[in-house]
Amino acid sequence: MNRRIWIPLGFAVLSVAVFVPWVVRAAGAEGGFDGVVSSIEQQYHVRATRIPFMSLASLIAGGATHGGVGQVHIAEFEHFTRPADGEELNRIVAEKLGQGWQRIVRTTSRQGNEQTLIFARGEGNRMGLFILDLDRNEMDVVQVSVDPEHLNETVGRYEHHDTDGRESN
Amino acid sequence: MKGRMLVMILGAAVLVCPALAQSTPSPSPTPWPLPAPVEKELASRASNVTEVTLGKDTLAFAAKFMDGKDKDQAAVSQLVEGLDGIYVRDYEFDKEGQYSMTDVEKMRQAFETPEWTPIVHTREHNGTEITDVLMKQVNGETRGMFILTAEPKELTIVLILGPIRMDQLGELGGLSGLGSVLGPTGPLGGVQHAPHGNPNGSAKKGGSQ
Repeated sequence: MNRRIWIPLGFAVLSVAVFVPWVVRAAGAEGGFDGVVSSIEQQYHVRATRIPFMSLASLIAGGATHGGVGQVHIAEFEHFTRPADGEELNRIVAEKLGQGWQRIVRTTSRQGNEQTLIFARGEGNRMGLFILDLDRNEMDVVQVSVDPEHLNETVGRYEHHDTDGRESN
Repeated sequence: MKGRMLVMILGAAVLVCPALAQSTPSPSPTPWPLPAPVEKELASRASNVTEVTLGKDTLAFAAKFMDGKDKDQAAVSQLVEGLDGIYVRDYEFDKEGQYSMTDVEKMRQAFETPEWTPIVHTREHNGTEITDVLMKQVNGETRGMFILTAEPKELTIVLILGPIRMDQLGELGGLSGLGSVLGPTGPLGGVQHAPHGNPNGSAKKGGSQ
C-alpha cells in the first residue's frame, strides 16, 4: 500500500521540481537583470549585445575600487527601432526586478523616443542601482552594486590627485 | 481516495508555482499625496515627463555618498538624512492649454489641511503663470514644503517632507530636479536664509498672497 503511494508521489515531486522552473523560465518569469533584458527582447523583438567576460570585468572593477563597485551587469540594444511606451517599459522593469527595488528617477520624452529609468535597492551596507536609458535607437541597461564608503574613498583619492595636479600647475 | 487527493495537491502546486513566480510585489507605500489619476493624466498629455521619487531610505543612503569631512557636504548630508522624502514632478507640454486649472486645483486640494499653510501665491499674465508655496507646520516646526509652478507649457511640482531648515534648503539645489526651483530664478530663489532659531522667518517672497 505504502509503496503504491510513495513511488508515484516521488515521480510527481521530481516532475514538479524539474518542470516548474522550466515552465516559469519559458514563460519569461526569470527575474532580476536577466529577466528585464529577456523581457525587453521578447516585447520589442530586439536582441541584446552582452559584453564578453563581464563577470571578470566586474571582479576587476570590484578590486580596483576596493569593493566600491561590484556585480556589474551591462546589456546594450543597438537597433531599438520600435517606439517604446514609457508606462509599458516601466511596468516590465518593475515586474522583473522584483521586490525591494524602488524607482527613483523616470524621464520620458515622446520626441526622439527617449526614456530613462533608475531603480535603487538597499543591499545592507551597499546600494543596488539599475539604470535603463533609451536614446533614439540605442538602449543601455546597467546594474551595479555600490558601497558608498569605499567608493567615496576611491573617488576622494583621485580628487586629491587632481587637486595636487592643479596646485602644482 | 488518498491518491486522488495527492494528485489534486500536486496539480494545485503546479498551477500555483508559476503564478507565484510571476506575481508583482506591491510597491512600498510612499507619502506622495497627489492623486495617481491626476499624475497619469498629466503624464499622458505631456511631451516630456520627469519624475524623481526619493524616499526616506534612499535619502539616508544618498547621504552616505557625501564626504563627511567636507563641512558643506556634511551639512547637506545631515539635512538629507533627516528628510522623509523628496518628490519632483515636471511635465512639459508641446502646446498651451494641454493641462487645465482644474488639474492644478486637484493638486492643491491634496494640501488643503490645517497643517499646510500657504506662504507664497502669485498669479501673473492673466493667471496663466502661477506659483504656490505651502509649508507644513507641526508644533511650530517646518516639516514639509510643497512648491507648484505652472506656466503655459510647463508644470512643476516639488514636495519635500521632513524637518526643513530654511538656511539649509538652498544646499538641496544640487539634487536632481530641485535646482530649477531652489535656484536663483526659481520660486524660492529670493528666500533669505533665516537664523537657525527662526526657520520660517524670511521665507516669504514678493507676490500677492
